Amino acid sequence: MKLISSVIISIILFILIMSNVDCQRKQSSNAGGISLGEKVQQLLDWNAKKSILRLNGHKFKEYVKSSPRNYSVIVMFTALQPARQCVICRPASDEYTILANSYRYSSVYSNKLFFAIIDFDEGSDVFQMLRLNTAPVFMHFPAKGKAKGSDTMDIQRVGISAEAIAKWVQERTDIQIRIFRPPNYSGTVAVIMLISFVGGFLYLKRNNLEFLQNKQLWGLMSLLFVFAMISGQMWNHIRSPPFVHKSQNGGIGYFHGSSQGQLVFETYIVMVLNGLVVIGMILLTESGSQNDARKGKLMAIIGLIFVAVFFSLLLSAFRSKAHGYPYSFLFK
Amino acid sequence: MSTVQQKAPSSSYKINWEKQESLAKLGILVLAAILSFSTRLFSVLRFESVIHEFDPYFNYRTTKFLTDKGFYNFHNWFDEMAWYPLGRIIGGTIYPGLMVTSATLYRVLWFMNITIDIRNICVFLAPLFSSFTVIVTYLLTSEIYSTGAGLVSAAMIAIVPGYISRSVAGSYDNEGIAIFAMLLTYYMWIKAVKTGAILWSTLASLAYFYMVSSWGGYVFLINLIPLHVLALMFTGRFSHRLYVAYSTVYCVGTILSMQISFVGFQPVQSSEHMLAFGVFGLCQLFSFVEYLKSKLTKEQFEVLLKSITIAIVSIFLGFAAVLTLSGKVSPWTGRFYSLLDPSYAKNHIPIIASVSEHQPTSWSSFYFDLQILVFLFPAGLYFCFDKLTDANIFIILYGITSIYFAGVMVRLMLVLAPVMCILSGIAVSHLLTKYIRNVDTSATSFTSTEGKAARPDVSKKYKKYDQQNKGVKSEIAIGFVVMITFMLITYTFHCTWVTSEAYSSPSIVLSARSHDGSRIIFDDFREAYYWLQMNTPEDARIMSWWDYGYQITAMANRTVLVDNNTWNNTHISRVGQAMASSEEKAYEIMRELDVDYVLVIFGGLTGYSSDDINKFLWMVRIGGSTDRGQHIKEQDYYSSNGDFRIDKEGSQTLLNCLMYKLCYYRFGHVYTEAGKPTGYDRVRGAEIGNKDFELETLQEVYTTEHWLVRIYKVKDLENRGV
Repeated sequence: MKLISSVIISIILFILIMSNVDCQRKQSSNAGGISLGEKVQQLLDWNAKKSILRLNGHKFKEYVKSSPRNYSVIVMFTALQPARQCVICRPASDEYTILANSYRYSSVYSNKLFFAIIDFDEGSDVFQMLRLNTAPVFMHFPAKGKAKGSDTMDIQRVGISAEAIAKWVQERTDIQIRIFRPPNYSGTVAVIMLISFVGGFLYLKRNNLEFLQNKQLWGLMSLLFVFAMISGQMWNHIRSPPFVHKSQNGGIGYFHGSSQGQLVFETYIVMVLNGLVVIGMILLTESGSQNDARKGKLMAIIGLIFVAVFFSLLLSAFRSKAHGYPYSFLFK
Repeated sequence: MSTVQQKAPSSSYKINWEKQESLAKLGILVLAAILSFSTRLFSVLRFESVIHEFDPYFNYRTTKFLTDKGFYNFHNWFDEMAWYPLGRIIGGTIYPGLMVTSATLYRVLWFMNITIDIRNICVFLAPLFSSFTVIVTYLLTSEIYSTGAGLVSAAMIAIVPGYISRSVAGSYDNEGIAIFAMLLTYYMWIKAVKTGAILWSTLASLAYFYMVSSWGGYVFLINLIPLHVLALMFTGRFSHRLYVAYSTVYCVGTILSMQISFVGFQPVQSSEHMLAFGVFGLCQLFSFVEYLKSKLTKEQFEVLLKSITIAIVSIFLGFAAVLTLSGKVSPWTGRFYSLLDPSYAKNHIPIIASVSEHQPTSWSSFYFDLQILVFLFPAGLYFCFDKLTDANIFIILYGITSIYFAGVMVRLMLVLAPVMCILSGIAVSHLLTKYIRNVDTSATSFTSTEGKAARPDVSKKYKKYDQQNKGVKSEIAIGFVVMITFMLITYTFHCTWVTSEAYSSPSIVLSARSHDGSRIIFDDFREAYYWLQMNTPEDARIMSWWDYGYQITAMANRTVLVDNNTWNNTHISRVGQAMASSEEKAYEIMRELDVDYVLVIFGGLTGYSSDDINKFLWMVRIGGSTDRGQHIKEQDYYSSNGDFRIDKEGSQTLLNCLMYKLCYYRFGHVYTEAGKPTGYDRVRGAEIGNKDFELETLQEVYTTEHWLVRIYKVKDLENRGV
């Protein structure tokens, strides 16, 4: 059925184009008056080159706003110029491109739906016409009737991921687009690089492999790993929180106010505090094995101070996060 | 336990000393075990002996079934009370270790004429097993380091919040006994590696079998032990002892684990178990090569080794290529990436992202659950690296791997907590034995037994310690001992505070503070379930959101449509659709599903925030996620501003859906808070938007004292179309 219908459509298109060849020259002189078939053909031609149509104010009026239309258009209004300082526009545009590409090369591709983009710097008159003062905005212009409130996607709520846009598009147009993300090979490449690097290193050092059995090295590595984990670097990796944030009284806050979240800088502080307490403990044990008595004594005292001071600092750091925690030591 | 090699001045004194020492050890251990039991009783003392939360109710129900009907009926149990009309096979889809343990305990106690109720056994099982864990931790740590460290870590694990969170009285779940089983397996394994005896290896595999039967987390264990073997091979510590131990543990353990029907053939099929299998093969090859080496001359051996290596590598690569090309194994999938990068699963598999137990762990929750162990652990790790042995390598590996997993997922803190205690115990005991002798110089020669007893080179060390006595003066030693004592005291305070504040609420009985500071108890859940049991027909089918499924089947003994074992998404989605549809549409769905009663949780009167209105968006999302729920769109349930509101501004779809009506039926006439209009919802902080409505197809039959649970009866069809 699909095949037949598409064949029929293309035949009709062909006929339309052929019949319009004559008129085209006449009509090209009076602007804005091209026929439906021509518009569709023009859009299809553009689409053959690029999956997203770049529109300006003039084209927008001609292809999206003017009335004889049998196709829907999804338009992203955006401001990609660096001067506009739209942080979210770039990732939104990337996601939108993924969606448009998924549609362009899928089996549901037809002349019923087109994806377009309007940059503020190319079509500011459109922004004014639609009274838009934010970007990015996704709007759906249905084939029939006027755009309703729900034809503008609610970015605040559903986000800007390609899947979310696809879901919205499906709700509006009943065309289901399966998102196909180009596979990301950077992970694989990194792993291969790492393996070859390590392999090459081992090969170069093949006559002297004793360093692999150096337990100091391994001990140090595992200690670093433990500190990274204990201070919540994995949390940072998965949630990617901000480095620091603005506190309520205007200054820079280094600590997140609740135990639900954390900031990157905060985890570094905690890592250093933990590390210093452990160094204090190690100093305490090593102090005995020094031959020089005075040196040993000094090490022990430093170790003791390290443990006491940094432990109490850690305690107060925790106190500032867990409200109602009753215990503290040395510092409030 | 360790042999005391201390040379004492006279033999009579020596016996006396040994006796004193073992008495002290026994005393400390018993005290720690009792402490670990009693610190978990907060909720029993505050409320009563009840099972907590949701999943434990299922375990409780199955345990009751097991004790009543016996093991064979339990094993073949098809449960028609859940997932109506589908039912669920229970025997083959659970880990039976927990239930069998409590049933056995029950039988033994009854045999001794101690007629204890099965519910009490279930409530107190987790604290009991945590006492056992204390003892096993002592044994394990003394095997790894020294008896002194063993005692310290036993005392630490008795109260560590990371473990208490899953083992308070009433939290009757798999993890409660699994940690004991895991540590027991480790202890047996260390013993087996040290002795190379088949006896210990077999005991280790029996302990492993117990672990497999009780918790899905056994996968961690079956990967850790091969990792240990591998590490020992790389460090050149491979020995016949290790060979015997691992071969026995792997063979016996695998065969035993396959006896659990839920595990089945996974140990030989799934990729999680392949490391164990591979290391087993490697062990055989390694020892075969060693054997050949001893029989052949050097030149012959080298030729043979080269050819065999090339042959094996090429065969292996060929196999891998064939399997990959034929699609049997596909290593470059998302699963593989999620191993390398934990954020992959979080970003690409939303079901993982939505569960709160699967969140990563922030530093403050590490600190919250472990307190001083957070920095004693690295110190202990350092001391272990200082003096590497076979057993030490094991505990290092355990520490590193479990801290990684605990960082990725907050609920795996449970696996990390024991090794934290062990290594911290080592650190504390190491430091204390070093300094405490200097506190009182006159007693130097005798105070040292505890920590140093296990070391063979005591006499050599002694000269060193004499030097130390000059180096580290007793003032510093006293200062140090005071400080470490202080830290341990803060640890106990912290742990008790955390246990009492955070981990001791049963969530089936709620409590709140009234204005004058006295406690109010909300016992509405049990009230409602008891009402259901007493006032509804025995085959009545109750529709509720899946959270309450286990509780309804266990406490009200009635059939439910969906429960916490969320295995069938379409069925849950159907219930979500009913809740999210208008009354007429919902009536059709409820007739189709044969629903007799509908139960909703409503917190608007008391301010209980995790009620059904707050979960409602999930019902909409899940309801709309299947084909039959296409008409349910999340968008329709938001107000024009895109907010989720229940007042006049809210969307009409929301104000007229079944869940809204069932929660707020008659609520429009109730004053909840002074100075506010009627129908003021105390959770959402708003006056409800739809006040005066009548229910046509349902009828309110029961509402509990604080309106927490409301039960409605689905009316029959009209006799004749009126």
